[in-house]
Amino acid sequence: MPDFTLTEKPALGGFDHDFDGTSLKENVGLAIVSVAIPLGGDDAVAEALKSAYGADTPVVGDSSLSKDGATRIIRTATDQLFVLFQHETPDAAQIVAGKLGDAGYYVDQTHNWVGLTLDGPLSRAALERVCAMNLHKDRFPLNKAERTVMEHMGAIVARTGEDAFLLLSASSSAGSYLHAIETSLKYVS
Amino acid sequence: MTKRLDGGLIDRSKPLNFTFNGKKMQGFQGDTLASGLIANGQKIVGRSFKYHRPRGIFTSGSEEPNALVQLRSGAHQEPNTRATVAELFEGLTATSQNHRGSLENDIMGGIDLLSPFLSAGFYYKTFMWPKSFWEKVYEPFIRSSAGLGRLSMEVDPDSYDKGHAHCDVLVIGSGPAGLMAALSAAKSGAEVIFADEDALMGGRLNAETFEVGGQSGSEWAAATVAELSSMSNVRVMNRTTVYGSYDHGIYGALERRTDHLVSSNGKPRQIAWKIYSKRAILCAGATERSIAFGNNDRPGIMLSGSVRTYANRFAVTPGQSVAILTNNDDGWRTAADLHAKGVDLAAVVDTRDTSPLGSFTGASIVTGAAVKDTKGRKGLQNITLTNGQTIQADCLAVAGGWNPNVHLTCHQRGRPTWNEDLSAFVPGGELPPGMIVAGSANGTYGLAGCLAEGRDAANTTVKDLGFTASRTQAPKAEDEASSVTPIWHVPAGKSRCWIDLQNDVSSKDVKLASSEGYRSVELLKRYTTLGMATDQGKTANVLGLAVLAEAQGKSIPETGTTIFRPPYTPVAMGALGGRAVGLDFRPFRLTPSHKWAEENGATFVEAGMWLRAQWYAKTGEQGWRDSVDREVIATRKSVGICDVTTLGKIDIQGKDAAAFLNKVYANAFGKLAAGKVRYGLMLREDGIVMDDGTTACMAENHYVMTTTTANAGPVFRHLDFCRQVLYPDMDVHIISVTDGWAQFAVAGPNARKLLQKVVDEQHDISNEGFPFMACGEISVCGGVPSRLFRISFSGEMAYEIAVPSQYGDDMIRALMSAGEEFDAVPYGTEALGVMRIEKGHAAGNELTGQTSALNLGLGGMVSKNKDCIGKTLSKRPDMNRDDVWNLVGLQPVDKSVPLNAGAHFLEKGAEPNMTNDLGWMTSVAYSPSLGYSIGLGFVKAGSTRKGDVIRAWDAMRKKDVDVEIVSAHFIDPEGERLRA
Repeated sequence: MPDFTLTEKPALGGFDHDFDGTSLKENVGLAIVSVAIPLGGDDAVAEALKSAYGADTPVVGDSSLSKDGATRIIRTATDQLFVLFQHETPDAAQIVAGKLGDAGYYVDQTHNWVGLTLDGPLSRAALERVCAMNLHKDRFPLNKAERTVMEHMGAIVARTGEDAFLLLSASSSAGSYLHAIETSLKYVS
Repeated sequence: MTKRLDGGLIDRSKPLNFTFNGKKMQGFQGDTLASGLIANGQKIVGRSFKYHRPRGIFTSGSEEPNALVQLRSGAHQEPNTRATVAELFEGLTATSQNHRGSLENDIMGGIDLLSPFLSAGFYYKTFMWPKSFWEKVYEPFIRSSAGLGRLSMEVDPDSYDKGHAHCDVLVIGSGPAGLMAALSAAKSGAEVIFADEDALMGGRLNAETFEVGGQSGSEWAAATVAELSSMSNVRVMNRTTVYGSYDHGIYGALERRTDHLVSSNGKPRQIAWKIYSKRAILCAGATERSIAFGNNDRPGIMLSGSVRTYANRFAVTPGQSVAILTNNDDGWRTAADLHAKGVDLAAVVDTRDTSPLGSFTGASIVTGAAVKDTKGRKGLQNITLTNGQTIQADCLAVAGGWNPNVHLTCHQRGRPTWNEDLSAFVPGGELPPGMIVAGSANGTYGLAGCLAEGRDAANTTVKDLGFTASRTQAPKAEDEASSVTPIWHVPAGKSRCWIDLQNDVSSKDVKLASSEGYRSVELLKRYTTLGMATDQGKTANVLGLAVLAEAQGKSIPETGTTIFRPPYTPVAMGALGGRAVGLDFRPFRLTPSHKWAEENGATFVEAGMWLRAQWYAKTGEQGWRDSVDREVIATRKSVGICDVTTLGKIDIQGKDAAAFLNKVYANAFGKLAAGKVRYGLMLREDGIVMDDGTTACMAENHYVMTTTTANAGPVFRHLDFCRQVLYPDMDVHIISVTDGWAQFAVAGPNARKLLQKVVDEQHDISNEGFPFMACGEISVCGGVPSRLFRISFSGEMAYEIAVPSQYGDDMIRALMSAGEEFDAVPYGTEALGVMRIEKGHAAGNELTGQTSALNLGLGGMVSKNKDCIGKTLSKRPDMNRDDVWNLVGLQPVDKSVPLNAGAHFLEKGAEPNMTNDLGWMTSVAYSPSLGYSIGLGFVKAGSTRKGDVIRAWDAMRKKDVDVEIVSAHFIDPEGERLRA
């Protein structure tokens, strides 16, 4: 047994701050697993998702929630889904594979991304400074999830509540991404 | 404060102190700097661009050509700000520009006496000889004597931002048409953005005395804006200039957030918005134009509608005795409004033979005549009419007619058309897709007409978008008289008749240009500078065109028109840059060991967006070479650790993954067994090498490809293209895992011993159990999932170990702790580069996008037994000649001489020219292992010339070094170390 132990360090150290009633915090412990849909395997994946999570398979640009609300499924491409859930240990891919079986190909994406939760009345005003998408309540309804680019950084934006958004971007540029959102909040608060 | 009238839309309970050229003045909340200056009796506000003539305020809006001032001071100083749109605030400091000595006694004013010699094109004709004088004498002199304001030359301390806004309908302009358009569109349920450049929305309604729906126009405007502001589907953006129309319904808009405040308090001063609209209704109004007569530029001469604005909105009069020159009904309205305000009228001069439209106590009423000339060097004193009559006046209001603001209709190459009835250009031809024009911008000048047209435009627009048009009715209003008989230019003998006040262009300049052959209006603009600079000729273009037409004996439409480009009004570079300044210019990607590297003296280098440790300096080292040499020697002697997280990592899965790899790689991948890694060479369609790297087979149908750092994105894009477009029937799926794994190269004779201290015991990483080019899923430090690859870039026995990136910081600390007993060192990209040159590995310097597998000595890797991308074109005869470049090693004959990358190779004694060029040096390094400088390079037929001595000729650095062609593998050519 090696003499060393390794502990996970969140990309942003668990950032959590309030800006005039709008909170921005790192979503620590968010597990993300990509599910690639095999060629011709759409129905099998849909059945597996229904069976395992009680969730419908979302279309590209949307997400759905599991029956218990604990798992979000984002359709990131015609042949790709992201399954997101809170999970602390580095075996998320095995967890999802265990639920969905041979229906898909699985890759643990947990450490590729940093997740930020933005929630509050300033959320849209802050995002419109860095995000080209129309996040109007009617145009970007609950559970909508789109890929976009913010300040040169690839991102996924999912609407998770009335004024709440889950923001995902690459973990290597997590600091720059946080800075972009934080700066926007400072500017609009 | 001697010039205030009753009424107005200023807040007299909020006085504001400000200074102009250090002189203390006072205005009120709601004033602009211009109205504040007028209220304080300031006539001259600046000096003209070329002749340094005294100039006063000419307009009341963004079209102002004269009143350009510097606002604020120090680093916050902003030159060329139009006083007419600068809102007054407490403590504002403004200074005039473009004069030497005081504003009133500019010593450069003498240039005006030389004006007969300074006509249009003077510079082009005069400063030709001697040629050498242009940059050293002429240009510095011209630049110092002419021009506008000056930059502070300090870093701009303000912040700026950008934003993205979306709407169904964008309404541009908040005059009567804009208000009705916004209200009607909003009531239909459409999402509306309603923007206007003014702080106080309402457009001309705030400047006129018209009634709308039984209340004053300004009251109706305020009530309507309040109603719109209360609607959840409307975004009201005042102080926002929509400056450009772009493709796909996108409009550029500049919002001035804090320009009217003492301080920005850390918030962005201005925001450059991209407005994404489905439709746009342009209600930008119209701009009044002048009439060219002798000395029509004196302080006190102003556009008639602006005089009315100052009286009605700002409650100031620009003169105590005001004369009016008009060629249309509008001038009479100025007379009536001033008269009602109790301002003394000296005269109303109508150029038309018409019955007077009013009579005013004490005012001369003259029709069928015009103003020919004026007097008053520092402020108007009197005017002389064409009938010989001289009238004393300290202000002349000139009403030359109105030009619809068609600018945004032209931004996508639409050309306005001439309307004879209006004597003006109106929107014509193709408008930007989705745009509709209403109100004065469309040539509809009457108030009732504007209101109705705004409503109708909105109804048409929202119906087009699928909404039900609201039943909002336009409020009751009258259409005011607007008959015009154009007169552009009153001949004035020797006196100059100014057309473009900002650029000091007179009617003589226009005629001269015409006579010299500059008959196209576009050439006229460039020859005379008519219509350039901050106002872009808003008050001058049509006048200049008319004079050009007159000079050529043509009509205006026959003569043509210039069209307008963005921006409508000036946009600061800071606003265009937004927050992307300094370290915010672009994002940075950091490896998981970044913090540890900082703690350990790393110097970082930018590699794409990544920051990579370049070397780790130790106390006592004199420079980077000391650090790099130490890192190389220590690694080759014992063990070194390098963060290679930045290398692209692509997870590939699917039943056809192996077949797919066989297509995208030149060498065979079909039979790569699970647990094995293979070096792969990727070609472009044209047979040129695209990238190289390794691909590991983690399990059946599951591979992990590594790419170079720089090509991680392009290779991923290429693979995605291949699978989606070229091989859509293959079951293959890719996803980037670059950021997901913190990966470290552990290289050197003690690499295995070090790793055995962190890898969990159940994994055999001995040479037998885990040989060169092995890979596997393992665990480290008590169960943390990990990946191990037995690959080497340094040429040493080496591994790359990867852990999920959030463990990366702990992992580098664990590796370094485990390596203490072996004197392990971290090494950066410089040592990495040195060791790869010593080993003869190609990298970015060699994979230039011009080199083939054969050039790189890898021609044998292009499999003959299978097809792959690039194979066919790699067989082109010229790419396979005997004398193609080959990658070789090079060492100096005199080992004490350093080599230079970029040097070209020549035979000894050969002339340095392209014919004799043998190739070039791609990479060099001082090899601490060998003790001298070594290089890699491409040499014609180099693989057959080992042992030959040629010259490395470096024209840039003036070096000429004899080098010997050797094997590219300087270290361990048999590969014994890496297999140890």
